[in-house]
Amino acid sequence: MKLVVAVVKPFKLDDVKEALKALGVHGMTVSEVQGFGRQRGHTEVYRGAEYEVEFVPKVRLEILVDDTQAEPVTTAIVDAAGTGKIGDGKVWIVGVEEVVRVRTGERGSEAL
Amino acid sequence: MLAAAISYVPYPSWLNPGDNTWQLTAATFVGLMSLPGLAVLYASLVPKKWAVNVLGMMFAGFSIVMLCWFVYEYKLGFGPNSWGGGVKDINGVVTQTQLGRGGWTQFIDNFWGKPGPILSPLGEQGQAASAANTSVPFHFPTSTLAYFQLVFAAITPLLFLGSVLGRIKFSAWCLLVPLWSTFVYSIDAFLLWGGGYFAQEGALDYSGGYVIHMSAGVSGFVAAWVLGPRLLRDRQHFLPNNLVMAAVGAGILWLGWNGFNGGDPYYAGSDAATAVVNTNLATAAGLLTWVALDAWLSKEKKPTFLGAVNGLICGLVGITPGAGWVNGQGAIFIGIICCVIVWVAWNFLSKVRPFSKVDDALGVVYTHGIAGFFGGLLLGVFGDPGNLSLGCGHLDASGQVIATTTTQYATAGGSCTPFGVAGLVYTGSAHQLWEQFRAAIWVILWSALVTFLIMHLLKVVLRGVRYKDEILEVGDLAIHGEEAFPEEAFASRVGISVGGGSREVFENEPPQPDDPVPSGGSGS
Repeated sequence: MKLVVAVVKPFKLDDVKEALKALGVHGMTVSEVQGFGRQRGHTEVYRGAEYEVEFVPKVRLEILVDDTQAEPVTTAIVDAAGTGKIGDGKVWIVGVEEVVRVRTGERGSEAL
Repeated sequence: MLAAAISYVPYPSWLNPGDNTWQLTAATFVGLMSLPGLAVLYASLVPKKWAVNVLGMMFAGFSIVMLCWFVYEYKLGFGPNSWGGGVKDINGVVTQTQLGRGGWTQFIDNFWGKPGPILSPLGEQGQAASAANTSVPFHFPTSTLAYFQLVFAAITPLLFLGSVLGRIKFSAWCLLVPLWSTFVYSIDAFLLWGGGYFAQEGALDYSGGYVIHMSAGVSGFVAAWVLGPRLLRDRQHFLPNNLVMAAVGAGILWLGWNGFNGGDPYYAGSDAATAVVNTNLATAAGLLTWVALDAWLSKEKKPTFLGAVNGLICGLVGITPGAGWVNGQGAIFIGIICCVIVWVAWNFLSKVRPFSKVDDALGVVYTHGIAGFFGGLLLGVFGDPGNLSLGCGHLDASGQVIATTTTQYATAGGSCTPFGVAGLVYTGSAHQLWEQFRAAIWVILWSALVTFLIMHLLKVVLRGVRYKDEILEVGDLAIHGEEAFPEEAFASRVGISVGGGSREVFENEPPQPDDPVPSGGSGS
């Protein structure tokens, strides 16, 4: 099993979600995160004072998949989230030792 | 038969229900400017970790002035003079004649009122009387006048909380407020409004451009100087926590100001309506001016919302000293001029000593101090003698207006001359401007000196007026044990207090899964 982790632009979340549902992905966890890569931050101004914000808001997705699904899921995310501009984000795949469904105690692929 | 005509009546004939209604309504509007208006505005302009502290100081400060005002301060500011001079007591009885000995003697004789409570039945229900107005009898009781004046007294220290927040001890604030309210606010109120020296000399302050806003700006600045700056980390990360709530607070301030300026004629007449309209004109002009300056001349070139709030406050403060004495055109000019001056000061003067060396957290010295100073001077420029706050006509025996036509109202007759303010542009006379200037210098110097002395006194008494750095790093949680936005998922109840303990069993409560199992076995 693999954990696919993606950090993408917030307004691309819907596209990514639909693409993954089309692939038969059953679930995912998303969170709002802040970070930076090559994309530069921005300045904000409150009451005449300028503040530099180096972090950019992104959405982080975590999707547990079978080994065979890891590659198509990754490709789908890259296709759905890409705009070709700097700041599109990253996707990475991590090996997972075990997964347990809390309600039933099912393990491994059964729990996905 | 006279006796047959006597029946229950709700008020004596000197009371006018229209005047009384508006005065109490206006007072309530002004009260809402403090709670929740200013409390919410300031609490939303500070980082999350300081919001509760701001709210706590706002509500405590309002309560402190409330008690002080009715126990002794009202008469300090609006009662008969302490020394020598004096006009009427609260029952309308002239106790002493107004002194006019001139020079310093006149100043000393007319420095403050004699403090005392107004908590008795007659104190609350008797006809209001004060040298704040000797032309026409008040048509409402002392309670109405005192409550109207209270809400002004109460908002003033809350305004300069914006200068000292983020490091002042709660205990220091709770002592600063009554001391400042007694020795700065009440005295300035007496001198300019309560029939004191500057009132007799002819200085004018419609609703508190000097007594309230400039005084708050100067006092906050001096207090911030004595107190020292916020933590460096806080200064570098001083972001507002909620701009939507800032909008709620600022909106309440703006519309609440209809009572602030609209209540100051003391009669529900045409001057009250004029003051309301002029207030709104100046505010709209000030708001748009700041937004335009931000969009065209600031480094970021963006029309910021918090800039709009600053402009709104500049317009409100600027029009306050002359709201019912200028005409609509003058109001728009005042809004624009005050806003331009404050915008320039905010962006450039702030880089020059002493402004660059004093941490006035929310910049009260600019939007209230400088806007109030220039607003007061501009009354001497734009005061329109045709804009009457009092006209001439006939009063009946109980002081109610009768048989007065529009023409009579605006025409001098007998010993009466309609009252309007003679500004420079309409009369060519700079006399009013000079009177305004003298009063302004007094208010600046007195506010600065007394605030300085109070802060140093508190430093000794409380062994320091600011929290230790370890406390400042944490903020609300360290000071109050509360957070502005608590997260219920991460906290669970311990101990026993109000509403039952961590696990009290209530009447009719079904068994909970994690209750200890009673002897006899588990049910599940």
